[in-house]
Amino acid sequence: MSHCLCSRRVFLSGAGGLAAAVVRGAPDPSAVAIVVRTDLPLDNLSFAELRRVMLGDRQFWSSNLKVTLLVRAPGARERDVVLKTIYQMSEAQFRQYWIAKVFRAEAASAPRIVYSNEMATELVSQIPGSVAFVEASQVPKGLKTLKINGLLPGQPGYPLHE
Amino acid sequence: MKRFVAIFILFLLPVCARAQAADTETRELIARLLARIDTLEQRVTELEKGRDPKTPAVPAARQAPAEATAAHLHEQAPGPETPTSEAAQPVYPSLKLSGFGDVNFSATNLHGTSGGFGPQTLLAPHSGFALGQTTLHLTSALSPKVSFFGELTFTARTDAGTGSPSAPGFNPEVERLILRYDANDYFKISFGRYHTPVNYWNTAFHHGQWLQTTISRPEMTQFGGAFIPVHFIGTLVEGAVPAGGLNLNYNFGLGNGRGQVIGRGGDAGDINNNRAWLVNLFVKPNLPYGIQVGGSVYRDRLNPIGGQAAGEWIESAHIVWQKETPEFLAEFANVTHQPVFGRSRNSQAWYVQAAYRLPWFERLWKPYYRIEQIHVPRSDATFRAVPTFTGSTAGVRYDFSSLAAFKLEYRYYWLRDSAPVKGIFAQTSFTF
Repeated sequence: MSHCLCSRRVFLSGAGGLAAAVVRGAPDPSAVAIVVRTDLPLDNLSFAELRRVMLGDRQFWSSNLKVTLLVRAPGARERDVVLKTIYQMSEAQFRQYWIAKVFRAEAASAPRIVYSNEMATELVSQIPGSVAFVEASQVPKGLKTLKINGLLPGQPGYPLHE
Repeated sequence: MKRFVAIFILFLLPVCARAQAADTETRELIARLLARIDTLEQRVTELEKGRDPKTPAVPAARQAPAEATAAHLHEQAPGPETPTSEAAQPVYPSLKLSGFGDVNFSATNLHGTSGGFGPQTLLAPHSGFALGQTTLHLTSALSPKVSFFGELTFTARTDAGTGSPSAPGFNPEVERLILRYDANDYFKISFGRYHTPVNYWNTAFHHGQWLQTTISRPEMTQFGGAFIPVHFIGTLVEGAVPAGGLNLNYNFGLGNGRGQVIGRGGDAGDINNNRAWLVNLFVKPNLPYGIQVGGSVYRDRLNPIGGQAAGEWIESAHIVWQKETPEFLAEFANVTHQPVFGRSRNSQAWYVQAAYRLPWFERLWKPYYRIEQIHVPRSDATFRAVPTFTGSTAGVRYDFSSLAAFKLEYRYYWLRDSAPVKGIFAQTSFTF
């Protein structure tokens, strides 16, 4: 599956609270997809494993393939979603986390900064082992969207959305 | 009057001629730009015709939108990167320089010309401003699996200058120098000079004053302190395994132990034929996210100046909650000295520190408190210079920038053999 399922989550307010329904056929504008190259030998990650990757605790996909993290610059919605759901950190905490990580010599550098979804997907297509977060509706042909806990963007229970 | 008009016209002529020439240049420029716009519009039309409307094609390198510039204004970390194939290729070596610095003020109940109770140490009797450490970090990837890390410090000291007696000056030091090969996540091997992974604080913060919440370090990991060996020269094998969600991390180290001055490592060679070794294990479980629990064992043989040779065992444990609401750190270490003649002595040190990032005022304020203790038996000759005390530290940290902080704290130390030491300390610390 090279792109998102294009589902939309519609929230309905009822007497018992909020009920969610998934309407197939339309993109979920709030979902953020994890994109990698198609030659990455992986289709699915657990959320915990994804967090390990993003924290720099897992730095290799395999012995010969290093993880390269690409993260949007501050102010981007994709970055906000990643910080809120995966890192559970503020912008300042995120910055301090990576400065500390490099300080402890646990990582050679912080994630690379990308300034647009286009730039992110461009670099993903060029750097083996790279991983980026882009709006689900903007995943281009030729890249792979990773499942999280077996779910693609737009499916009920998919964790990366606002 | 006619003469004046003629002169005026003569002056105007060259100006008009220049204006006309400039106008011609402008018109040519506009014509070129319009032609370029036409070409680009034609190109966009061609691209849009050949594009699947549901799925955008992988974009061209120059399609980064204007938001990139706006985003860069807020980004203080890595600089902008152009998404070209050249930028995507790693370059070796890739040297990066960063660092930490701090400026301190202290006012204590101790007074004297040397020694004392400064922001960094229990025994610096100084009131006034002091420059802390200027720390430089050098990181460089040498190949996809080999990296270098260096840490240099320049520390203001009263005796680091020239002359006799020595004038004040700066003491340079190679704090860390590590060359590491990363086979994979499970196995990494390195050689060099480290912050000994024998407790949490020593590796997590050490010279990064800005990284730590407080101004002062716990006395058990003090600069120049002797309770634990803060530096280690040798080799380290490390890695991490998922371990069913526990995320078990390990460090196995072998190297020179303490030097003859036990607060120093054996930088220029070991002082005996016994290498020190250590095992450090800790887990960072998936749930609860943010907790770290671990412990270490360290073994060495000491030959201190003016002291008796002794075997040394250190066992330590820590538990850390890394989030800031609240932040919680607790560590304990037991050091056993086994002299060649005589019976063993055990010394203990511990601290508990708590802090909380306040939800108000843009989350810039973090009050904190730490209680700590070191207990050394009077009969432990090796630790004769290590103070026995109980200390309380209370303060507040204000992050006036995402890369700089101001801290203010009060300390009260009850010493075993002397009057209590108390003082107010302030520090501004930053990274760059």
